[in-house]
Amino acid sequence: MADTGSSEGASGRSTEEYRPPSGRWKLLIAIVAVLVVTNFVTGLTAYYLAQSPAATVPLCAGGGGVRSSAAPSTSNGPSSVAAAGASPPVFTFHFEPPYHTTQATITVSPWAGAEFEGFRPVLENFTAKTGIPVTYENLRQEQLTQILPAQFASGQTPGDVIFMVSSFIKANPQHIIKETSNISDSAFIPGSLDPVKVGSDVYGGVYTGKVKPGFWYRKSFFNAHNLTVPTTYADFKALLVTISKIKGIRTPIVSGDSVGWPLSDIVEHFIATYGGASMHRALTNGTKHWTDPDVRAIFTDRLVPLLAGGCFSEPLEWNTVALTNWWHGLHALYFMGSWITGLVDNTTDLGVFSLPPPTGTSTGIVFAGDYFFIPKYTTHLTEAQQLFGYLASKDGQTIQVEQGGHIATALGVPLSDYPAVDRGVAQLMNGVQILSDLDDTIGGQFQTNFWSQLQLLWVSPGQLDAVLASIQSKMPAS
Amino acid sequence: MIRLRIEGVTRVLRRLRDRARRFFERRGSLRARKAGLRVAFFAPALLLLVLFVGYPVLATIGVSFFDANGHFVGFANYGNVLGSPDTINLNGFPKPPPYGTLINNAIWIAIHLPLSVFLGMWLALVLQEVRGAVWVKTAIFIGMVTPLVIGGIMMLYVFDGAVGIVPRFFDSIGIHALGNGWLQRPTTLLFGLIFGSVWLWTGFSLIVYSAGLTTIPKEYWEAAKIDGASTLRTFTHVTFPLLKPMTIVVVTMSILWELKIFDLVFGATSPNGGVGGAADVLAMQMYREAFVQFDSGAAAAIATFLSLLTLVATLFTIRYMVKR
Repeated sequence: MADTGSSEGASGRSTEEYRPPSGRWKLLIAIVAVLVVTNFVTGLTAYYLAQSPAATVPLCAGGGGVRSSAAPSTSNGPSSVAAAGASPPVFTFHFEPPYHTTQATITVSPWAGAEFEGFRPVLENFTAKTGIPVTYENLRQEQLTQILPAQFASGQTPGDVIFMVSSFIKANPQHIIKETSNISDSAFIPGSLDPVKVGSDVYGGVYTGKVKPGFWYRKSFFNAHNLTVPTTYADFKALLVTISKIKGIRTPIVSGDSVGWPLSDIVEHFIATYGGASMHRALTNGTKHWTDPDVRAIFTDRLVPLLAGGCFSEPLEWNTVALTNWWHGLHALYFMGSWITGLVDNTTDLGVFSLPPPTGTSTGIVFAGDYFFIPKYTTHLTEAQQLFGYLASKDGQTIQVEQGGHIATALGVPLSDYPAVDRGVAQLMNGVQILSDLDDTIGGQFQTNFWSQLQLLWVSPGQLDAVLASIQSKMPAS
Repeated sequence: MIRLRIEGVTRVLRRLRDRARRFFERRGSLRARKAGLRVAFFAPALLLLVLFVGYPVLATIGVSFFDANGHFVGFANYGNVLGSPDTINLNGFPKPPPYGTLINNAIWIAIHLPLSVFLGMWLALVLQEVRGAVWVKTAIFIGMVTPLVIGGIMMLYVFDGAVGIVPRFFDSIGIHALGNGWLQRPTTLLFGLIFGSVWLWTGFSLIVYSAGLTTIPKEYWEAAKIDGASTLRTFTHVTFPLLKPMTIVVVTMSILWELKIFDLVFGATSPNGGVGGAADVLAMQMYREAFVQFDSGAAAAIATFLSLLTLVATLFTIRYMVKR
């Protein structure tokens, strides 16, 4: 009995104390198995779909550039507002005047962070001069693209003065106050107002702008390696080869990217230099096709060999990875707009050169003006008109250029008011024609397709003809 | 405090109901009074549905018959959208991407659906009655509660050629073709996003299946064990059939999610679906037509087409549920 009782007691205890097996090892094995299997499946699938590497001998052999497919045959055979790129979330800033006489005016623009800090003194000065308080709101172009049509359709507006790409202003004159009588071509760099004209009527103003002058480099890097600025295209290629052999260099040129616009700036520079200002304008107007032999030749003779030769890095986030890698010497050259001067620690170490032009070609340089307009639905028209006039004036723009990174469009801003590095940029504009940003001017689906096709070209230069055909297919009917 | 408030609200609702009842009791027959009462309670919800669902749906269908300038064009928008290489681009197949938005959505379903459903089911089975499993389930479910646009931005770094864990992994084991940035190449872009999204979505099927497994009586498994059924046989003849309702829900919801996918692709690529449009999907195409091209007719046509596709998937579930 005692035995039985004892046995029952033991059994009872063991039942009470029973816990299901923890299965910890089973769990660990399962997790490892999941990781291995999913990675294996992922890898196998993608491996068989990945394209084969280039068969060509890379130009920049020392670099680890794109080189993902062979270059097509050579021609011997047959910004912008987007430049603001990824900006921090929406924020507002209110400028209080010493006294209140009028209602606040809201300005909407894509600038945030350091870019806004450069804009702030302009608004503060306006408020101090006029007594009109200004509330600043930061909305990116992508956000405005969604917000404006809906608000305009219901007779509302998110701001009284809004900065937006010129293609939007040109496409929506029915929602915008006509400024023909308030603004004159003669007060600006020639052609600056053209992108916001519908016929002979002007629907927007032009603030300062940014130039896309060419390849930026660190003077200290060039000095340390005895490199010199090229004066011919052969020199330029030789420079890339030399740079690619420097220890620690990944590729001679870093390619900035976000949604694709930095690549479009590079392409526009090649076109404006080797096709000339006339070709750039013709492509913008749609009077020339991207598939025309002379346009194709710019790619096959100049850009594609560099891409296929590994001289450019694969596209990297422009204001984080690309900028940091370039500044720390993993790449020697970076094609970027003049706003780069506001993004680096030491502007005195910055140098810039344009692509060496061929003799006899009238070359151009892309100047991306920042455009703004007053919507018809503003409730502060008088104040908005005052701010409009101030932003377009020599006074307003002088304060902006003093902050760095901007080039005035209003005539009469003295060169001495520019920081040294911007003065150099402004001087690069001497003797060349000023061009509007091609994709900003055309806008619409052309722009987004242009960007994505150039991203494709960067990693698959062998698909040049398909890329050019796709770009041409999205050109708006003229 | 909260309890008091709830009681207060309940009291007000009761009072309203009683007043409505008294109002109808004074008028007409019992049947008419009941019908009136039903209508009175149903009307607010119906009104909201008509205003915020019915009207927008009908308006969208209406807009799809007009061009960007407001001219009636019949079914031309549908023809243009379905005939566009942006939607279906298989000329010269086999060829590198892009294949078009509709094909990309189909590829998304073909890869993402089985992976996320079976991975979730398998994890739910493995983690059944395992101590500490709740932590693992929570970790997996984090992907589900992460906003997809954030998930898309995370993909940018996960698949980045320089710092991404996936390319670095393949580079380190000698598969150098996959050691480059996945999202920078048209051949790997879509697959990178799909595989990334499996992680984001598996939490859903895991939770649904985990809940489903708790509804199966343990006696069924014990009986199968006593009868000598193997683990595989128990799964195929007991577990899987009893999980059928969950599978229907998971499959339907996953297909709807895959058809409507937008934010993940938008966050990881560009308004054009990344390199050469290789990851473009129908919802992105609709966005571009509406907010880049400002062609509301074409955008409405894509929206209607997308709704029809999702409707087919939803009908499947509704039919199953009605049968039950």
